[in-house]
Formats: sequence, structure tokens, C-alpha cells
Amino acid sequence: MKYRKILPVLVAGSMIFGATHSLAGDVKMIANASVNVDIISPVDLRAVFLEEKSSIDGSHVGPVLEKDGPVHEAFLQEYLARSDDDLQEYYRALVFTGRGSMPKILGSDAEVVAYVARTRGAIGYVSNATGTEGVKTLAIGVVNNNVERRLLTRIEPGYPDTLKDLRIGGTVRLRLSISAKGNVEQVELLGGNPILGESAASAVKKWVYAAGRSRTIAEVSLRFGDN
Amino acid sequence: MDRRTAGLVLACLCIGQPSLPAQDFKIFDRDVQVHGFASQGFVYTDTNNWLTMNSNQGSGAFTDFGLNASSSLTDKLRVGAQVYDRNLGKLGQYHPSLDWAMVDYRFKSWLGFRGGKVKTTLGLFTDTQDLDFLRVFALLPQSVYPTDLRDSTIAHLGGDIYGSVPLRRGLGGIAYTAFVGHRSDSIYSGYPYFLSQFGIHIRSFGGLQYGADLRWNTPLKGLLIGVSRLNEDITAKGSGVSPFNPQAGIGPYFESSKADWANQFYGEYTHGRLRIDSEYRRYWRAQEVFNNTSGNFTDVRGWYVSGTYRVCKWLQFGSYYSRYTVTNTTSGLLAAISTPATDTNLPANHDYDKVITGRVNLNRFWNLKIEGHFMNGYGSAPYPNGFYTQENPQGFQPNTNALVVKTGFNF
Repeated sequence: MKYRKILPVLVAGSMIFGATHSLAGDVKMIANASVNVDIISPVDLRAVFLEEKSSIDGSHVGPVLEKDGPVHEAFLQEYLARSDDDLQEYYRALVFTGRGSMPKILGSDAEVVAYVARTRGAIGYVSNATGTEGVKTLAIGVVNNNVERRLLTRIEPGYPDTLKDLRIGGTVRLRLSISAKGNVEQVELLGGNPILGESAASAVKKWVYAAGRSRTIAEVSLRFGDN
Repeated sequence: MDRRTAGLVLACLCIGQPSLPAQDFKIFDRDVQVHGFASQGFVYTDTNNWLTMNSNQGSGAFTDFGLNASSSLTDKLRVGAQVYDRNLGKLGQYHPSLDWAMVDYRFKSWLGFRGGKVKTTLGLFTDTQDLDFLRVFALLPQSVYPTDLRDSTIAHLGGDIYGSVPLRRGLGGIAYTAFVGHRSDSIYSGYPYFLSQFGIHIRSFGGLQYGADLRWNTPLKGLLIGVSRLNEDITAKGSGVSPFNPQAGIGPYFESSKADWANQFYGEYTHGRLRIDSEYRRYWRAQEVFNNTSGNFTDVRGWYVSGTYRVCKWLQFGSYYSRYTVTNTTSGLLAAISTPATDTNLPANHDYDKVITGRVNLNRFWNLKIEGHFMNGYGSAPYPNGFYTQENPQGFQPNTNALVVKTGFNF
């Protein structure tokens, strides 16, 4: 069986590259269709969930949280660096000084997806295994020089059948070099399974961003095997 | 605790508990959020009476509660208001006040505006000092956050400009607030009560207040440092007997600021379940008192270091050391009848407080705290700091130990 020959290599690759990004790999960001971005930086993500920012690229945004659970904990640890208790204290301080409101807090992935789908500007997080019908998935990326580049054309990467059959998936992290015109010039694999990385890189090279003043660098994460 | 207070707290607990999370409703298709809180404390001291309570016999005159409503009218525009009421010994006396009521418009994350009655940003906890449920301690360090003088910094009628800016090259982020407005103290607050011991009865107390706060979320994860500045121009009006001519009887009383400012420096570090806070505040006040016949110069310096640790979701412990000193000199007619207070080694001019606290979260909305204070000094004169002559007519003891038990809930 050809699977038996390549399996150890694939598993080893997944373990080496997947270990340091396991938390990010458990969570994916979703947004209402009205949110006019496809990629959100960790800085903006933090600002949105701490109610320091209520719009991105001209789109109104508002956070939606889960009440508890591993996805909730993973999100807080990875992107807000706060415990649930600390975050609740933070929101209460906003509420009782008039500086913010308590965000929507829901009990399950399904409730988050349903609420985000029907609520203008809503941004939430769910487990990677959750279906995301009716909402858009946001890539989380870092754009250098504080310059945000709007993604105009996005091509989804193919999922190699061999890995799909073996249920080998995970998150692939890429660093992109985007020209002033908006073309992706270079792609560098930062983490994740190398075979999935190749597939992701070939798709990302076809992405087109809005024109900018100069060449910029961005980091994006793509998930394979979310269903 | 009198029957009225007990009934109120019990009613709040009974009404609030079952329906706590569901306090949102719609008006004209806009979501409106309603939130509230209440706390009830008990204080026992072994020697001096504290915080205008008869604490030496054990006192439950330590109640506060608040209720707010807010709504987002547009994506950038929010409105809201909160009513607050308290009774602390002889202070507050259940006279409700509009705690804050404001319009908040955020143009960008780096530029927003708040107008109306706005909570004052000064150091880590000035704006949240009433919100007992946010922290482990039953009483914040009194050297920097004297609860009897909360009115002096709690809010201003005016406006704030605020925002936050991420810094490049991973240098963290800066948040700023600049404010200007009018401060108006309740006549049931600590300073008017302090003056009443001299036969002076204040009818109005307040004036211009302006300042700024700058805080830096540093690249070191969990470390925040900041600085605040406050300037004031305060006037008090009332009536009283002049100590220079008591035969004249009761006449008008007037005092005003010549210089009145505070500087505050602070830092906070959180690492997992551990939180460490430290602040230093210097408050300087030069006034003209007794109808411009005398000068009064007060220098208050306070600092503390506190640490808290969350053992588990329902149990936290904390401790702090708080150090307060005050000096006072006078000029004009008052200099002839008053003694300068310049030696901060005297217990009358300092208050050093060692504190240990345990907090139990009975559920997500309801907590119970037990706190011990071990104080040296009483800092009673010539500026109020918790210990008042009216409650200690027999004189002060140099040391005071206090037990504080407090419970609170919020929704």
C-alpha cells in the first residue's frame, strides 16, 4: 500500500510543524457577510474583541464570544492573552463606567454561526470542525508596516486526496510578499504540513490584493480538514 | 445594617439572581443593556472608629448600589447613564447621585469623544473604585483611593478625548485620555464632613478639573505602565463661625484653590493567575481659607504595592502594603492658632496599612470577601483620611486593626 510508505513521513511532518501552532489550528474566525475584509491581523482582532475598535476597512464590526469550552479558552489564550475571568472583569469595567457594552455571549458553535450569519458586523470564533454556512471565514494575518492590503481575489487551495483520505490536516502558515500592484510575488512556508503547504502556496500565489504604495509582507493561516 | 438596607440588599439578590444574564431588551429596534450592582459590608475595629462608622462596636453602615442603562444608537455612537447611591457611616446617607451620563462617539480607534458626566481617568482604579466586584480587595489601598473622598476624583461634568494607538515594531500600544470639566462634590462626602468638626457647614463644593492619562501596554506580555495628571480650581461655600472672632457668630464661609494638582504613576503586571499592581500619587493643595484671611498648604503622598492570586475560579487571595503621609502648614491668621504638621513619623501624619484578603465567588455574579487591616497611624489631621475626630472624641490610638467582611453582586 502506498499509504503505508508515506504515512510515517506525513505524520512526522504534521507533528513537527503542527505542534507550535496547535492552538491557532483549533479555532477559525467567522464574520457576517457585511464585513468587508477577508483577512484580519491579530492586532485588529484583539482591538475588536477588547472593544477598542468598532470598524475595519470601513466595515462595522462587533465581537461575539462563546460562554466557555476549549474553543473559547484557545481563542482567549492565543489572541487576547487573558483568562475568561480577566476578560469578564474587563467587560464589566467597560459596562459600569459607560465605556462599552457587554458583547454577545453564546453557548455553542452552532449558536455563534447562526448569530453571526444574521447580525451585521458580527465577528466570532468557532471550532475548525464547525460548518460555516451563511458566514464568511476570515484568515488571520499580520501585515507589516501597519499597512492593510485588501484581498480582491482569493483562490481556495486544493486538499490532496491522499491526505484527505488519511484525515491528515491542520493549519498551514505562510508569509507572503505582496507587490505594490497587488500580486503575490513570494510565498514562504512558516509552519504546517509541507505537502499541504505546497498546495496552499500554489493557491495563494494566485491571490490578488488591492494596489498599495509599496511592497508589503503579510502572514496568513489556512486550515485543511475542517469538516 | 438597618432593616431598610437589609431589605434592599435581599430584594436585589432575590430579584437579580434568577434572571441575571437576561437584562437586554429593545426600544425602537435598538438593543438596550441594563446592568446593576450592590454591595454590603461590615467593619469591626479594635481601637479607633474608622471611615465615619462606629466600627469599634462593629458597623454595617457600608452599603452601595448602582444601576445603569446603555445603548448603541449607531455603529459609533453610544449613550448611557448610571445612578449610584451609598451609605458609609456618616457619608452618602442614601442620597442618590447621577454617577455618569454621557454620549460617546468614536471616530476611529485612535480618536473618540465622550461628553456629559464622565468618569475621571486617573491611575488604575479611580474610575472603577466603586465596582467592588472587579477586584479581590474589599477596600482599595486608602493611601491612593480614600473611599471617604471618592467624590473628589470620581467624575466630571465635561468631556474626554480618548483613543488607543498600536506602536510599530512590536512596541505594544498606547492609550490616552484627556479630560476637562466641572467637579461637584456631594455635601455628604468626606471633606465637608471633615470641616463640620470646626463648625463649618458647606453648601457647595467643586470647580474646574482637567488633566490627562497616558498608559503603555509594553512589549513585555502583561506589563502596563502609565502616568496621570490632574489640575483643579476648587471653591467651597457655606457658613461657619470664624475662629478668629467667635463672638460674631455664624457668618459666610469661603475657601478656594490657589494651586491644586495630583500626579500619579502606576504599573500593573499580570502573569497567569498572578497580578501585581503598584501606584504612587502625590496630591498638592494650596488654598485660601476662612474668607481669604489665611493660607493652607497640604502635601499628601501615598503609594502601595498589591498582589493577588487566583487559586481557582471561585477562590482568590490578595495582600497589599499601603503607605500614606500628609504634611500641612498655614499662613495668615490661621498660622497664629494652628500647629504645623510636618513630621510624617507621627501617627497623626501617616497611615501605614498591611492588608490580607480572601475572596470567594459564590457564583458568577455573587462574591464574599474577608479582609484584615493592620494599620499604624491614623493620618487624621489636617486632611481627612478615614479617621475623623467626630467619631473619636476621646482621641486616637496609634494602631488600629480592622476586620472587613463584604458581599456584593452584579448583573
